[in-house]
Amino acid sequence: MEFIQEGFSQAYALLISRDPATYSAVIATLRASGLAMAASLLLGIPFGYVLGYFNFPLKKQIRIIVDTLLSLPTVFIGLVIYALLTRNGPFGGSGLLFTITGIAIGQAVLSLPIIISLTATAVEAADHNLRTTLMSLGANRRQIAASTLWEVRLGIIAAAVTATGRVLTEVGISLMVGGNIKWHTRTITTAIALETNKGEFGMGIALGLVLLLIALAVNVSLAGLRRRI
Amino acid sequence: MDIYQIRDVDHYYGDKQVLSIEDLSIPEGSITGLAGPNGSGKSTLLKLMAFLERPTYGAILFNDKKVAPFSKEVRSRVTLLNQEPYLMHRSVFENVAYGLKVRKKSTRLINRVEQALNLVGLTEPDFARRKWYQLSGGEAQRVALAARLALRPRVLLLDEPTASVDMESAGLIRDASLQARRKWGTTLVVATHDWQWLYETCDTGLHLLHGRIFKGGLGCAVSGPWRFGEGDMLLKELEGDQVLVVPKPDEGKNVAVLDPAKLKVVMPGDDPQLNTDNRMLNGFVTRLFLERNGKTVQVAIKVAELLVTLRMASSKAEEFKLYPAAAVRIIYDPREIEWF
Repeated sequence: MEFIQEGFSQAYALLISRDPATYSAVIATLRASGLAMAASLLLGIPFGYVLGYFNFPLKKQIRIIVDTLLSLPTVFIGLVIYALLTRNGPFGGSGLLFTITGIAIGQAVLSLPIIISLTATAVEAADHNLRTTLMSLGANRRQIAASTLWEVRLGIIAAAVTATGRVLTEVGISLMVGGNIKWHTRTITTAIALETNKGEFGMGIALGLVLLLIALAVNVSLAGLRRRI
Repeated sequence: MDIYQIRDVDHYYGDKQVLSIEDLSIPEGSITGLAGPNGSGKSTLLKLMAFLERPTYGAILFNDKKVAPFSKEVRSRVTLLNQEPYLMHRSVFENVAYGLKVRKKSTRLINRVEQALNLVGLTEPDFARRKWYQLSGGEAQRVALAARLALRPRVLLLDEPTASVDMESAGLIRDASLQARRKWGTTLVVATHDWQWLYETCDTGLHLLHGRIFKGGLGCAVSGPWRFGEGDMLLKELEGDQVLVVPKPDEGKNVAVLDPAKLKVVMPGDDPQLNTDNRMLNGFVTRLFLERNGKTVQVAIKVAELLVTLRMASSKAEEFKLYPAAAVRIIYDPREIEWF
């Protein structure tokens, strides 16, 4: 059990001493996750809104597919993105393999179904009187869409919190697409995997605690946002 | 001038017909009451009149023009307050100001919101800053009404506005709606079970049953169970060993309606010579209500478990010395009872 205690003291030391390798992994994690979340929110919120709000042919089938994609294993996404970005793959010329952008693409694939599904659920669960009320107050179609989205904002924040948690803590995509290259694509989770393989449990726990601190900071910010709006 | 003209409107939800109106006109600046049991089509009619939905068949003319949902002729001019109003997850101010903001009427916004809140009796300082979850049911209903009044609408449609609020809120909602008519000539259409609205406040009362309008009122709508009587008649056994006799219905019809214009009220002891087809029911007066014209009285008569409502000249009510609890008899001809 000593290594757990050691992990706490090492985490403290890493953060206080501004250990360059740790900070490099933190920055790689934040960059990849930030890019992935930006992309998945930009694509997922409109798509989720359409899926939850409108009735159209194949809606149920699309919903089942999106919900199934919630169970995508990260190593499988990693494998597929690797296959697409590798030199012999269809996007081999893009040079995105073993880059932060490559990791972000994989993580966006991971978080997109979460954002779509939870946004659609939030929109579906909106009060049935909302549209009638907005129309009664003179809103046009565009204003109804914008106001409905604003009314379900807490549900969308919940979707963002869930997806952020999943993206921050995944290891399969970062390892396979990023390659765990020190100072470049090594994220906190791939660093933990490496340290564990080396038998450096204390260091692994320290990095895990750093990751939890980041998650705490993200959630505190979102909780603050939720209170203000 | 009629602000609404509804012609041959039939409305369906799926295969089910929920409304069928041949001809209905609503004069501008009038107050029209809609009465009828749950599921009779009141809310559907209000939604169509608010242009939230298009009728499946027929046309609703607004100011002699056929208009569609979202058209500029009706946006912000016709507004509906639902029975269970939805308050947006924002402050009271933002809720009341919403309609003005979407119409880009941002000048004197604070004044307009304040005036609307004053109209519904929400005058407490800082009330506008409250969040939607900090309001009681009555306050929420009044805020929702204020949001509509802020628009200074030409037509205000109210769906059971006082059904789930306390007496004080009900009074304030009624007064605010009437002020809208006084100040801006707003036409009011109110679906309500409230007698005071219907007979004291409204210029016209319309009764709906199964999506049809009974302009002359709805004496009483009677549902089964029925048992077979003599000949082609059906019998409804009422409490106190009384029996209502009705003709057999056409297929698909299940509610028998007593037309108040075809009912006759007599006092016990003044029984006229009944012809062989007439029948009689014993009851007592439960409520008398002088209508706005001052010449007619709405009389509610309890006959066993049925409540029969009819209109009577006030002079006749005086002659009969009618008062609540007075025993009366209702004479009817079973062949004149219609099925819907």
